[in-house]
Amino acid sequence: MTLIHTENLTRVYGSGETAVVALDHVNLTVEEGQFVAVMGPSGCGKSTLLHLIGGLDRPTEGRVVLNGYDLGRLSDDALTALRRRKIGFVFQFFNLIPVLTALENAALPLLLDGVKAEAARRRAAEWLDRMGLGDRLHHRPDQLSAGQQQRVAIARALVTEPALILADEPTGNLDSRAGDEIAALLRRIVSEWGRTVLLVTHDPRIAAYADRIIFLKDGRIVDETRLSGEGNDQEAQALRRWMEAF
Amino acid sequence: MRVQLLMALRYLRTRKTRTALTTLAILFGVAILFGMNTILPSMMQVFRQGMLAAAGEVDLVFSSVTDGPFPADRVEVVRQVEGVAEAAGSLRQNVLMPASLVGTTDPLQGVNSVTVVSVEPEAARRIRMYPTQKGRFLEPGDGDVVVISQGLAEKLSLDVGDTLTLPSAEGTTSLEVVGVLQWASPPGTEEVYVPLTTAQRLLNMPGQVNGIEVILKPQTDRAKAEQAILAALGEGFQPKPLELGEEMFASLQIGEKVFGIFGVAALAIGAFIILNTFRTVVTERRHDLGMLRAVGASRRAVVGLILTESLLQGALGTILGLLAGYGLAALLVAVVNPVLRLFLRMEITSLVVTPQNVVAAVVLGLGATLVGGLWPALTAGRVTPLEALRPVVPGVYERATRRRAVAGAVLLVLAAIALLTGNFQMVSLGTLLFLAGLVLVAPAAVEPLARLFGRLLALIFAREGRLAEGNIARQPNRAAVTASAIMIGLAMVVALTGMVTSVSDGFMGYVERTLRADLLVMPTSMMLGGGNVGAGPEMARSVREIPGVAEVATLRLGAAAIDGQMFQVVGIDPQRHPRVSGLIFSQGDPDEAYAALGRERALIVNAIFAAQNRIQPGTTTMIQTPTGKHEYRIVAVASDYLNAKLATAYVSHANLERDFGQTADLLFMVDVDEGADFAAVRGRLEEIVRRYPAFILVEQRAFRQSQEEALRNNMTILYLVMALLVVPSLLATANTLVINVMERTREIGVLRAVGSTRRQVRRMILAESLLLSALGAAFGILAGLWLGYVMTQAMNTVGFIGIPYYFPYAGILGAIALGLLIGVAAAVLPARRAARLDIVAALRYE
Repeated sequence: MTLIHTENLTRVYGSGETAVVALDHVNLTVEEGQFVAVMGPSGCGKSTLLHLIGGLDRPTEGRVVLNGYDLGRLSDDALTALRRRKIGFVFQFFNLIPVLTALENAALPLLLDGVKAEAARRRAAEWLDRMGLGDRLHHRPDQLSAGQQQRVAIARALVTEPALILADEPTGNLDSRAGDEIAALLRRIVSEWGRTVLLVTHDPRIAAYADRIIFLKDGRIVDETRLSGEGNDQEAQALRRWMEAF
Repeated sequence: MRVQLLMALRYLRTRKTRTALTTLAILFGVAILFGMNTILPSMMQVFRQGMLAAAGEVDLVFSSVTDGPFPADRVEVVRQVEGVAEAAGSLRQNVLMPASLVGTTDPLQGVNSVTVVSVEPEAARRIRMYPTQKGRFLEPGDGDVVVISQGLAEKLSLDVGDTLTLPSAEGTTSLEVVGVLQWASPPGTEEVYVPLTTAQRLLNMPGQVNGIEVILKPQTDRAKAEQAILAALGEGFQPKPLELGEEMFASLQIGEKVFGIFGVAALAIGAFIILNTFRTVVTERRHDLGMLRAVGASRRAVVGLILTESLLQGALGTILGLLAGYGLAALLVAVVNPVLRLFLRMEITSLVVTPQNVVAAVVLGLGATLVGGLWPALTAGRVTPLEALRPVVPGVYERATRRRAVAGAVLLVLAAIALLTGNFQMVSLGTLLFLAGLVLVAPAAVEPLARLFGRLLALIFAREGRLAEGNIARQPNRAAVTASAIMIGLAMVVALTGMVTSVSDGFMGYVERTLRADLLVMPTSMMLGGGNVGAGPEMARSVREIPGVAEVATLRLGAAAIDGQMFQVVGIDPQRHPRVSGLIFSQGDPDEAYAALGRERALIVNAIFAAQNRIQPGTTTMIQTPTGKHEYRIVAVASDYLNAKLATAYVSHANLERDFGQTADLLFMVDVDEGADFAAVRGRLEEIVRRYPAFILVEQRAFRQSQEEALRNNMTILYLVMALLVVPSLLATANTLVINVMERTREIGVLRAVGSTRRQVRRMILAESLLLSALGAAFGILAGLWLGYVMTQAMNTVGFIGIPYYFPYAGILGAIALGLLIGVAAAVLPARRAARLDIVAALRYE
């Protein structure tokens, strides 16, 4: 079943002579249960694509249909509610609230949705446990390592049981070992918990965990390939070569 | 909502210094407002309690509408009304006791006033219980005898058989003490009971009473009886309101308003502090806020978060402010009580906390935080989820919005036009426009002003000064808000010092023009009315007979009402008065006005009266007098020094006698012939005054000096309160500096890393602080000049004619000094904090 569908998705920043076309008539369809990685050089529009699909930004032209909803037709409140319930975000800089504990950070979307505090905490604790942070529930972000912080962020993204996880360079701020751990976690999200993951990265080793790669250049999809999804070195090498071609 | 509360609490806890400073700001405003609003009603309550105690167990008390005397035969009328068990007429008046009669000059030990209560012994005993401890109560047929309270007996060491001498219309009257009552008098009053006929002679009110006390038959409807009695008495009577010392009440009410203004000003500064704090909070947390929006927080939820945070601080500040305010009031009670005991023989035993005051303080406290927090909260609501994903951009330069500066300039021009119209309402409106305009223009003015002061500062601080100037200019809005907060405090200082000079000079001008006679014979207290015993016509006659006296003019006093609104009536002699003294006229021709006073039922009214009753010269009006309603013509608007604060009308002695039944002289103004021997005249006058202990003889020059001194003392209190306003301004500056330091932690780390010494960092913060306070002082002086001018005009409009405007040089110097003080004091904490930053940690700070 189709989860994401974009039609002629275009985003132009600025106007007149200084206008920059970040995304140029992109048509993309993602099925449920896929792990899709968007790759491309800096400024190719991959983050813009993610933002538009996540409803964080509005397209200049074209449309995004997510889970049957045309995002362009939703009010800000409806869009916010959709983000809260259907989409989980994972950012490069974790973006945890510094004054809240790991448990409270992970429970945040549920609390914002009006779920009772106790239930929210229980569900957040379950997810943190699955992320291997069962013994770090009451630590504040500054008391956790970078990798641990990102795992809290992933728990936060999953706690509302969303259909889609959008991850924007989730390993960009991590060392390679922590990066591998996060990539493996994303793989589990798809394989074990049946969610769809859309990942933006320029790191071939991380992208190799996906089962479908979209190559973006100058705002257009220029290529696409399927992988085994095992994150093996050969595929990573192939991706690296492809990247170097740009 | 729960999440917001949780997050708000956590955020507040992580930034302790800032939270404390912001909370303190609200605390301060609420404390001033609540404290002052607690102590002033408490004082009024004390007066009222005194009155209630005096009213005893009587069911109803009636008096004339004007509270003046009326014929004693009205008592019989009341007795005939159905439901009335007993009625008794009484003459009750406060009498100031001169030291010469009491035998001591220590007012704490002695008695400086007594309330003469006259009774008809027969009727009175049926109305009240008068248990005596010694001797007996009054009996029919008694003459010059008195029954006194136990307290008075102890204070004056009097016993049954001794003599109590009271000042009276005849000079003095000696009374034999026949009994001592068991009870102590209510606070502030020492009641002495004398037979009615004696009291009437003592107070020069033959055949008259000024109150009727009534006891009703059991099961009589009180309200119905009251109506029936009022109907029987005819027009001009009222159930006696429990009021006393109107002048005192008027002063207290003015005090309440003044302190109200101070409190609101302090809270306004608090609102500015909140505004600044939360503007920074929103900038600082753009990432967090964007992330919240990304994971599904609605705009409303984000606005709610910031509002919750500011309201939490508001609530905390308000609660602590209420406590501090109560403490402040308690402290003031400790200071004020000795004074009250000294002059009024009463003290505040409990503070009155009315629900209205609590509600007002809470509403204003939370209101200030809401107002201060709203704009930042709305800004926070506009943060987009994408902001969470953008990298941090350090050191963003804020741009002062041009549109706002233009709007502010327009407001300033409008305000200037309003000022030029000279119309009071326009000018007041102009003041609001002016302040709003100044606040709007402020951000745009920051850069040029910072450059100007920066040059000055560069002389002392060299490089640090340049850095500081840049740092201020890069956040013009924040600097402007801080400057506005300082502005409010310093503007008050400038405006009030100017006012103080104007008012003192204006009042002394009044003294000079309206009490210009060479010698004054006046009651021991300068409050006209307020318990003074007047002298019969005999005294004026004997003064006139002194060789060398050129002219004697006297003042008499009555009370009247228009539509139930009381005012005092001052009797003057239209021929003699202008020769010895004079009124200051603002409308009408003096000669014609005096002539009209002598010719017909005419009134010269003061401006307060004219404003209160919306009456213009040339119109006629019905006024209620003790003898009924009479039509009077208003012929002019004028005032004198003694009657500048109360609604007053001047009538001729002849009219005062005919319509008000008053012939007692309360004040004598004596002019001496130019060629006469002044000392001799003075000596002869002294002899006469000695026979009337209620009066003292004062030379004009001495009187002026005493008044100047009294004014100065009053103003000292004002200066003290003004000093209190500097505290929130200080908090505002410190708060901004703390924010600046925190926000630039990383920059300061870089400065230190590339070789700045701790001392240099400290000096940079100090320079910044001085720049901020210089900005505030500049705005404050500007606004203060305006306010001071407008306030002087306002005083002239509401009745104090002839108050001159003075340019407040002292106030400006004071504001500059205070500005410097604020600048240095506010920098202490933030500068130390910045200098002590750990370089490595600072570089990593986010």
